[in-house]
Amino acid sequence: MMVSGDSGHGSGSQDFELNLASIIDCLTVLITFVLASASFLSIGLLDAGVAAAGATAATDSKPPEVNLTVELGKDHAMTVKIGGKSTSTTQIPAKAGAWDQEALAQNIATLKQKWPELNAAVLTAGDATEYRDVVKTMETIRKTVPAVLLGGF
Amino acid sequence: MRKHKFKRRAPQNEEMSLQITSMADIFTILLVFLLKSYATGAVNVSPSAGTLLPEAQAGETSVEALKVEVSQGAVLVEGQPVASLKEFRFEKGDLQANGSSASLGKALEKERQRQLLIAKANSDVKVDPKIIVVSDQRAPYSTIKSVLASAALHGYTDFKLAVVKGE
Repeated sequence: MMVSGDSGHGSGSQDFELNLASIIDCLTVLITFVLASASFLSIGLLDAGVAAAGATAATDSKPPEVNLTVELGKDHAMTVKIGGKSTSTTQIPAKAGAWDQEALAQNIATLKQKWPELNAAVLTAGDATEYRDVVKTMETIRKTVPAVLLGGF
Repeated sequence: MRKHKFKRRAPQNEEMSLQITSMADIFTILLVFLLKSYATGAVNVSPSAGTLLPEAQAGETSVEALKVEVSQGAVLVEGQPVASLKEFRFEKGDLQANGSSASLGKALEKERQRQLLIAKANSDVKVDPKIIVVSDQRAPYSTIKSVLASAALHGYTDFKLAVVKGE
């Protein structure tokens, strides 16, 4: 049987000090590596079905009573079209030279109140419309209508 | 002679011991925090330099799918440039009558064939209709339409748009 010395620090003793300096070296290298390779952008995904290809998610066998189409036109003007059981077209002009997202949100909220089963919308845009405006409008519509499909192709 | 107002201090012991234990604690906490924030994204996307993604509120669902990136000068499929763009627009010769891009279509067809081969060899693997579009926010909708049309023609109909998560 092995017996340690009186001091407790003999060759056979299990009482030892951890060399923290080398551990800190390892941690520094690890942190540097993680910082160098990490991307601090938090990326999310927006669903956009294909209206033109006819691949809309058919969760309900009954077709919707009305179809909602939002068009982003020239000079930041938007058109909200309703088709199906009822037809209507609403123009939303630009507000201070920008898309009037608030008016669009209000318009869609009114339509949703009128037709509560309205759960999908098709969004189209002019060729020169920037992608950021399309995404922004998609976000506005999604607040009321959960499924927004990109169309126009 | 004027006397010194203050007495000279006795020299201090210059040996300073660093509190290495607390330093190790700080490093450990930093590492844990970094590792945690490392894997919070829904998708493993690293846009190429100069590409600005649009900002929007998006879901947390984690998805792995074919990635198509639209940057200022090129369209990339899984990081490989497949079609050249001029100021975010396809060259006229590359666009077909149906609005799709011939060169992008060729690359997507290659990917689709690869998926079909894998699915044939392994019954557990299904052919995936999902595609992640990573586009610069300045790209015109005409380019996005061409990308989506090319993808839809080759069976990629479940579009996911990559965005930077906003507040």
